[in-house]
Amino acid sequence: MSELEQKIRSEAERLLKEGLVDVVIAFRKEDAPLRPQPAFFTHPEDLENLTYNGLCANNLANYLTRYPRETRIGMLVRGCENRSVNALIVEKQHSRENLYLIGIPCTGIIDWRKVIALTGEDILGYEDTDSTLIVRARHQTFRLPRQELLHPSCQRCVHPNPLSADILLGEALPEGDPTLIRARVESFEALSREERTAFFRQEAERCIRCYACREACPMCYCEECFVDHNTPRWTESGTTPAGTHAWHIIRAFHQTGRCTSCGACERACPMDIQMTYLTDKLGKDMWDYYQFAAGMDDKTQPPFAAFTMDDKKHFQAGGKLS
Amino acid sequence: MKYLLPKNELYSRLARWSAEYSILAPQKVGEYSEFLPFTAQSELCLQEPHNTRYPAKALFFPQSETILKYNRISGQLESAAPESQKRIVFGIRPCDAKAVTLLDTVFAEGDNQDPFWLARRAETFLIGLGCHEPCATCFCTSTESGPFHTEGLDALLTDLGEVFFVETLSERVEALFSELSPAEAAQQEIALAVQAAAEKSLPKVFELDGIKEKLDRVFDKEIWAELSQSCLGCGICTFLCPTCFCFDLVDEAQRGTRVRNWDTCMYRVYSLEASAHNPRPTRRERTRQRLMHKYSYWWEHAGKLGCTGCGRCVRYCPVGLDIRAMIKKASAYESEAQHAN
Repeated sequence: MSELEQKIRSEAERLLKEGLVDVVIAFRKEDAPLRPQPAFFTHPEDLENLTYNGLCANNLANYLTRYPRETRIGMLVRGCENRSVNALIVEKQHSRENLYLIGIPCTGIIDWRKVIALTGEDILGYEDTDSTLIVRARHQTFRLPRQELLHPSCQRCVHPNPLSADILLGEALPEGDPTLIRARVESFEALSREERTAFFRQEAERCIRCYACREACPMCYCEECFVDHNTPRWTESGTTPAGTHAWHIIRAFHQTGRCTSCGACERACPMDIQMTYLTDKLGKDMWDYYQFAAGMDDKTQPPFAAFTMDDKKHFQAGGKLS
Repeated sequence: MKYLLPKNELYSRLARWSAEYSILAPQKVGEYSEFLPFTAQSELCLQEPHNTRYPAKALFFPQSETILKYNRISGQLESAAPESQKRIVFGIRPCDAKAVTLLDTVFAEGDNQDPFWLARRAETFLIGLGCHEPCATCFCTSTESGPFHTEGLDALLTDLGEVFFVETLSERVEALFSELSPAEAAQQEIALAVQAAAEKSLPKVFELDGIKEKLDRVFDKEIWAELSQSCLGCGICTFLCPTCFCFDLVDEAQRGTRVRNWDTCMYRVYSLEASAHNPRPTRRERTRQRLMHKYSYWWEHAGKLGCTGCGRCVRYCPVGLDIRAMIKKASAYESEAQHAN
């Protein structure tokens, strides 16, 4: 057990024993290789199953909207999870007073698919250290450089530290390089219109419409998603190009000023579809036009949700981007 | 009959077959594999221990399929049923072949004679590839199947290094292999040893005896809330499942087509009724439905288990839910009083 895991467990135990929260949302040991599961602890004695390491892949803020606002929730938050929680508080999905955020500076989430591509699935155990993932497979022990195994969203993460946690466990990390995420968007922007279309089609048309991207996303909490609405239907129903294109474009647009670039959508996708190039582009536009980044605090409304008299009106005839 | 197919002759053999048959075989798409048409440029993906990510059921029951075309103005209707086509599905794993036989009980038994399923099934040969290195997420030996089981297959290949050991299982594929040299007793012995070792490497994770009764007894118990707590409610486990067969019929009115799409009990809207009542209102009921269908209701409607242990739902669940652990927990759950201790 790592020192960090022990600290998380002690803090969770304190919260539950002192009756400060009703539930602690964290991770528990896996059933399937390399796949720790989101877990909901209500009794201190269950905490022996709690685990934490770089393979904890889900954005736990996703579970926030399943609870009434009165439920007092203790939640493990990394940088992106804390920003998602903030964005949800802005959207009045929970009250800050009923949250206790256990913050962890995040060294990045390891992509289990990259690991098993190198080690195979027959894994007896693993250890996630600062720079190396040590995997004990049946016939061989692998020492894999951690940075290369990270999920792409984590490799270009700007804010690895929780911004508004109630307690920070572990040392704060240096901020990430903000040019990385911009460079990726810029390289997409630099493509010709035909190349962009081709890339979009290549990704979107593999979609099997399982909506794992939606369900893994903390910000997708609508009771009824536009694709599930059938009177009238807004999109074609099948896995045809028209159906998958509509899903991917509209899903992304609904994230404008809300997406915190956590990458949970891509981590959940069973078909390895890239989606963050769309949401990160929207994030870049939000910053360039409005100097706004989602989830940096729990008060500021996203530009498209707020109205002020001096809003830019470039969509009007004769309007200009200032 | 038993034959030897040298690996270096595989592509030329497939090319020869492709004069008469369209051939579908596992090929890489980025990091994963799926069954795609074999062409002169194809590079097959037969070495990976695990299965194609996208299930082979789609070759018989595509995810989105037009079943009817209509003209709203003239009122003209036109069936879109496919014509039977000579096909070879090469390299299908035993779990997926068995799944096709399970789906026969849904689409081609008694009064249920689905013309789309039948047309695709009639002249499609299944040439299987056994799994000499079953994965940690596989559990076919627990589900009345196994890494070299032959149910549903016309022929089974065993990888012996330089050659495939071929065992034909139906008359209709005999001609495909008759030019090959027959396997000797010694090679058959090696093949049997490979098969036995694979079977042995995958111990059973649960016993099926009495599992239906155990699950039926806990139908209304709290265990389902616990098991479904982290479930996202996405469609991965059911869409990638080789035996899930639920579909939805949708009129694409602007196109004048009636479409059959895969549907899933894991979606809220699946069981949502027009009155707004939902008999499966939460993930608890929906998760229960998925597990109970496979491990209880299948026995009732087909007399068989509805899971072949392919492991896709385990491997690709975005929250790491493992059906093996879920079934074990649910079937061991006897009473809430006991659980409280």
